[in-house]
Amino acid sequence: MSFTEIKNERFGEKYYTMKHSSGLRIMVSPKEGFKSTYAVIGTHFGSINSEFIHNGKKVKVPDGTAHYLEHKLFESEEGDAFKLYAKTGASANAYTSFDVTCYLFLCTDKFEESLEILFDLIQSPYFTPETVAKEQGIIGQEIKMYQDNPDWRSMMNLLQAMYSEHPVNKDIAGSVESIAEITPEILYECYNSYYNLNNMVLCVAGDVDPDTVLKIADKKLKKNEPVQTESIIPKEPYEVREKYVEQKLPVAVPMFTLGFKEDAPEEFISTKEALCTNIILEAFAGAGSALYRKLMDEGLINSSFGTEYFEGRGYRAVLFDGETKDPERTAEIIKDAVRELHKTGISKEDFENAKMAAYGKIAYGFDSTYAIASEMISAEFTGRGAFESADIISELTLEDVNERLKSQLDPDNCALSVIKGIDGAAEE
Amino acid sequence: MSEFIRKQICEGVGFSSVVDTRFKKGRIGATLITPLTRKTAAANALLSCVLTRACKAYPDHTALNRKLNELYGAALYPSVYRKGDFQMISFAAAGLDDRYSLNGEAVSSELAELLCSILFDPKLINGCFDETDVEQERRQLIENIDAEYNEKRTYAINRCIENMCRDEPFAIGRNGSREDVAALTQESLYTAWKELIDNSRVELIMLGSADPQNALDRFESFFAKKPRKAGGRTTVVSNVGEVKHIAETDEIVQSKLVMGYRCAAPEDFKGRIANSLMSAMLGGTPTSKLFANVREKQSLCYYCASMADNDKGILLIDSGVETENIEKTEKAVGEQLELLQNGNITDEELTAAKLAVKNSFIASMDSLASLQSFYMGMIIRNEIYSPIQAAAMTDDISKEQIVALAKQIKPDTVFSLVGN
Repeated sequence: MSFTEIKNERFGEKYYTMKHSSGLRIMVSPKEGFKSTYAVIGTHFGSINSEFIHNGKKVKVPDGTAHYLEHKLFESEEGDAFKLYAKTGASANAYTSFDVTCYLFLCTDKFEESLEILFDLIQSPYFTPETVAKEQGIIGQEIKMYQDNPDWRSMMNLLQAMYSEHPVNKDIAGSVESIAEITPEILYECYNSYYNLNNMVLCVAGDVDPDTVLKIADKKLKKNEPVQTESIIPKEPYEVREKYVEQKLPVAVPMFTLGFKEDAPEEFISTKEALCTNIILEAFAGAGSALYRKLMDEGLINSSFGTEYFEGRGYRAVLFDGETKDPERTAEIIKDAVRELHKTGISKEDFENAKMAAYGKIAYGFDSTYAIASEMISAEFTGRGAFESADIISELTLEDVNERLKSQLDPDNCALSVIKGIDGAAEE
Repeated sequence: MSEFIRKQICEGVGFSSVVDTRFKKGRIGATLITPLTRKTAAANALLSCVLTRACKAYPDHTALNRKLNELYGAALYPSVYRKGDFQMISFAAAGLDDRYSLNGEAVSSELAELLCSILFDPKLINGCFDETDVEQERRQLIENIDAEYNEKRTYAINRCIENMCRDEPFAIGRNGSREDVAALTQESLYTAWKELIDNSRVELIMLGSADPQNALDRFESFFAKKPRKAGGRTTVVSNVGEVKHIAETDEIVQSKLVMGYRCAAPEDFKGRIANSLMSAMLGGTPTSKLFANVREKQSLCYYCASMADNDKGILLIDSGVETENIEKTEKAVGEQLELLQNGNITDEELTAAKLAVKNSFIASMDSLASLQSFYMGMIIRNEIYSPIQAAAMTDDISKEQIVALAKQIKPDTVFSLVGN
């Protein structure tokens, strides 16, 4: 059992990967001369995995369970993990997204001790009615904080408008009501179904060598037999559920999120497809594009304007968002430009310009241990190779990009989410 | 590893470099430092936007952004922030390190040239900034100021500061007021640009593997015969009267509570670390008194954090809570602060806070943006230490120092944004 080394010659970067005897995938990227080390362990379990079959039994858990479990895993019978990290100086945290839950730390000393804490944390669930109840108030406030956050509301409203069946239309943290139903038994059920080491990955980047990681893994990790857990993801129709959704919140500048829904099979897009999409979005709507210029000159957008490719198991969409005085007009201009784009394709000049930017951004990713570890995690869960972009980018052609464009940005399948001020006073 | 070198170009203009070969990026920054006044704040803020929108060489934002893309997705970061009673108008350009360019281009020289163009060679029409550029950037800056209300945590913090420092320059927002931005003219903006370039203190910094000499030469040729006197001090208030309670209501689900205190504003770096350490013990880490008690024990909130501003001598504690728990939280925070002031600190707490502060000092060495921000903090006060030295100094701080600083904390203003 040993590491495989994967190198990127152009940027002089490498990582080591192995399937540990415990079942855990381990990926390590040493960064020469770095003073800090970032480590993250993740499971392919997020808010969308609320229905699954475990050992032949069908289970449905309340919305927000994955996130609740993340909070509670920090506590063991001996107390909370923050107290243990306090002794090593590592700065620790955790997060839950639609499809993953991750536990992480950043340290500049005592790496081995911190990694031991991380391994203990994910291997020692301890849930009692009292500890579970205590978290209701804390998470309740976290949920309410997001209810007042116009960016997040705009995004969630959009997902509800776009998706009729897929659980990506539910808030990651659930609701105050749904989390009230969570019990220790439910948390154990999820833990046993998804926190099996065969379903997890550890990624470490920075001032570290792979043998040290292996040594601690050998010492701390118990061998896990693979479990049979199958997530149930309902079939989602191609069409958006609703074309328009609006909410009034106390904001001084209205906001919009416009989503172009795509056909989304269960498998993930390839590295090449992801790169093509990056280039399309930069060429079409980046700060150097004709669309950006038109929207800016008409006074419709400001520097908060941005684009994103939103992708996971069973969902794919291109998103545009930002503050605007006129969401409907902004969306119309974007849709018109999309129709035009499908006629003309991306031009050679725009392609070359956007490709240069994409090349740079791949390079910059290697400067951040966080970005490296995140890429490795995503690689493990999506089947895309880590560091692959750096190899593929130079071979990418205009034809590749225009071919990719055909399955994206359908102007007849998009939804617009708008946040407006309560009294409408800020609107012109 | 990183090597810090500093050179004074002339009085009031300094050039620093951090030579470091570990990164794929290079970075170059210019910060103009000027007293924060109601008369100039808005003009400087709008200038920062107009200057980075276009310049003589790239006369519109599309051309400028396409040039940045060509330079391997380089970025220009204009930022305006407040440091004590000073307004910092900062420009940074970051892009690919020369060693990784595909055709051997020297991206670092191009970035230095671009930064100089933006600062010294703006797009002028008949000696004035272009009307469209000014109007477009004015619109965006006003939207930006308005949008501060959209994010309620930031909004509540700003409102607390505005009320607390009402008669001090610090209460002027980093961007000036909406009305002041609206009143600016193309002419007043031009005057403000000349004033800023000719008379404000300037700190230039270059980070990465490229030889800084090239950038230094460019800046020297511009600044060599233009010395400027930079001075001024920040008002630090230590006498407070009765605590002011101010409440506003809004259509929000979660109420926000911001407690504003006066605290020490230590001159020396070690004193500043001690003040930050004190704030970390109070509410800066997951083992801090506020996190462990107000959040974890009493389940009152998701966040309850303390931030000390060492330049201004104020400390803010903020939290998001149920409306009916505002008073309860205020009381709980007061109790934790009192424990700290009474020296109720375990060795464990002190060690944990020291490790956390040291961890962030050392970790800052692994990013060019963090290195820039660390060294700029040093340069501005003319007291240079490395992050490693800063970490070592953290170790020397005693419990007595922490308690003495905690005792200087006096409540001034409590602001709440009350939901329904």
